[in-house]
Amino acid sequence: MRFRDPDPPLIVVVGSGGVGKTTLGAALGVVSAEAGHDTLVMTFDPSHRLKDTLGVGEEAKERDVEVMAGTEGRLSAGLLDPRRTFDRLVARYAPDEEARDRILENRYYDQLAGSLAGILEYMAVEKLYEAHREGGYRRILLDTPPTRQALDFLEAPSRIVGFLESGALRIALKPWFDEEGKLQAGPSWGFLRGRLERWLDEIVGLDLLRDMAEFFRAFGPLFDGFRQRAREVETLLRSEKTRFLLVAGPNEERIPDTLFFARKLREAQYHLGPVVVNRIHPRVSECPEATSGRRLLSWEGEQDHRGLEQLRELLPEEQLVTVPFLSREPTDLESLGELGAGIEEALTRFSASEKGGS
Amino acid sequence: MTNAEQRVLRRWPSLLLVTGKGGVGKTTLSCVLATSCSDAGRNTLLLELDPRESAHRMLGIPPSGGEVERAGHRLWLRNLQPRTELDALVEDRLKISAISRRVLQSPVYRHFAEGCPGLKELAVLGHALRCLRGELMREEEIDQVVLDAPATGHGLSLLAAPELVAEAIESGPFGRLAGELAEFVGDPERCGVVAVTAAEEMPVDETLELLDALEERMDRAPELLVVNGLYPEIPEGFEPRDEIDRLWIRRRKVNRRESRRLSRRWSGPRIDLERRPIDRSPELIEGLRRRLEAQLEGVAV
Repeated sequence: MRFRDPDPPLIVVVGSGGVGKTTLGAALGVVSAEAGHDTLVMTFDPSHRLKDTLGVGEEAKERDVEVMAGTEGRLSAGLLDPRRTFDRLVARYAPDEEARDRILENRYYDQLAGSLAGILEYMAVEKLYEAHREGGYRRILLDTPPTRQALDFLEAPSRIVGFLESGALRIALKPWFDEEGKLQAGPSWGFLRGRLERWLDEIVGLDLLRDMAEFFRAFGPLFDGFRQRAREVETLLRSEKTRFLLVAGPNEERIPDTLFFARKLREAQYHLGPVVVNRIHPRVSECPEATSGRRLLSWEGEQDHRGLEQLRELLPEEQLVTVPFLSREPTDLESLGELGAGIEEALTRFSASEKGGS
Repeated sequence: MTNAEQRVLRRWPSLLLVTGKGGVGKTTLSCVLATSCSDAGRNTLLLELDPRESAHRMLGIPPSGGEVERAGHRLWLRNLQPRTELDALVEDRLKISAISRRVLQSPVYRHFAEGCPGLKELAVLGHALRCLRGELMREEEIDQVVLDAPATGHGLSLLAAPELVAEAIESGPFGRLAGELAEFVGDPERCGVVAVTAAEEMPVDETLELLDALEERMDRAPELLVVNGLYPEIPEGFEPRDEIDRLWIRRRKVNRRESRRLSRRWSGPRIDLERRPIDRSPELIEGLRRRLEAQLEGVAV
């Protein structure tokens, strides 16, 4: 991975919440643009000062905004807002106005769709597709959302396709309710119909089911196109050229998380690039008059280095990139660029070793 | 006034939701609050939602694995899996096991349970309410639940879920449960929020968002704001000798700046806890508990 080269065209930044994914993603974006490539940083949850730096306000939820002038390549940033993307998507892909309004005015959509599990991932896939196909970028840096099962995001395309092809949607799309809102049942249902209706009502209440069925029915035509787009995104994520950058916390307690990620990525046959161990506290040399601050930092330094040593035993040396704990969180373009440049060198080394190894 | 009397005055709502950004020490603070409540004589249940259990280490007991574990004289710990809890609730409400098994195994239910927002939250809050009512854990007579809420969505989704579901599901036992829970979490006497944060940029951003959202959407405020993990104060006239000293000074400066940002927005009950060079252990919890209680003496909660 090297920023003067145009590849990789897509870098996916993964890792647990709070390890600094967003900042590192932005830092690499700056370096990439400086190296002359039109670059998009796609992000989910930047801090307010990073937002200011990247200039991504409300506007960035609608379309990508240009961040930096004067670099050789263009640097743009986009902010992912599930509800907005969803609305836009409905407006764009609904077959006609009537279908569009039917979805947007559906009570289920209105109340629940914005927080529906998997919606963020679904929307990220759509947004990535859009940026990749139509954005005209040479490189995309994709920050990933801080989900608990953090690889949910990557599995989203295949999971959604799986769901679309499973029976669940067919059932959901089945016209369950007749004109009067009574549950439809085939002739063979017989006496079961009353019973079925009762326990569906028992569990969730029929009103919600009616709204849901209506929603999925209205949404059906959109799903078809999505299957196609999800497949394409899946291919892009697994491409030889795409690289996954794993960001890890240095602390001993974080190691299981890091290994879990690395293993999952390998198992799923994604191309794992370097592992960036971020925010490592320095080792403190002996000092005769220890202050409370020194004792604390020395303890943190020891913990981090113990963690780092364990990682060194578990992962190839050239794959590890270490970033010291910066006393100032880089939030302006200049310090982001410095951080990015520091990592780039290590990335170049890694890419050389990768080439040599393969 | 004696300490004991003050403790009686300081009666927490019977359900405390501990919320904050990932990594600020939510689980640690949940353990601290739970031990403090149990020491004050309340039969306390600590519910942990993160499947990667860590509360047990700080209470000095084996992992819960989903079961109720005794963690002290009046203290119990349970790692609660929302999905399992939801299934249990369906089973409980459907009564007939042959039917509930078929429901639980059907792909429609599985997708619905995973995807329908609010249901899992409902199951978790429902569990807490049923414990407090003596419907679950009867013998333990739980009168305090501390809930270590998930990091994402500001834990606000937990508070908002009952009303959301009650609006969407008007009939059936889930609709009724949602209605009851909406009333329960809406009552500040019975359900309170403890917001945990670090005096650093991102956590403070999120805390400010939480305060605004609580006020705008629910017309309420947290019981307590805990600022955790502060670097020790710099002694007066301190001369930095090397990079380490300078790092300390700069971190402390960030703490001060972000702390001020919090003060501008929040003048309610707040306590500050210093970062200590101690591993996550009962020793850490005990030390923090003493600090928390000492500071609470001076705060009207």
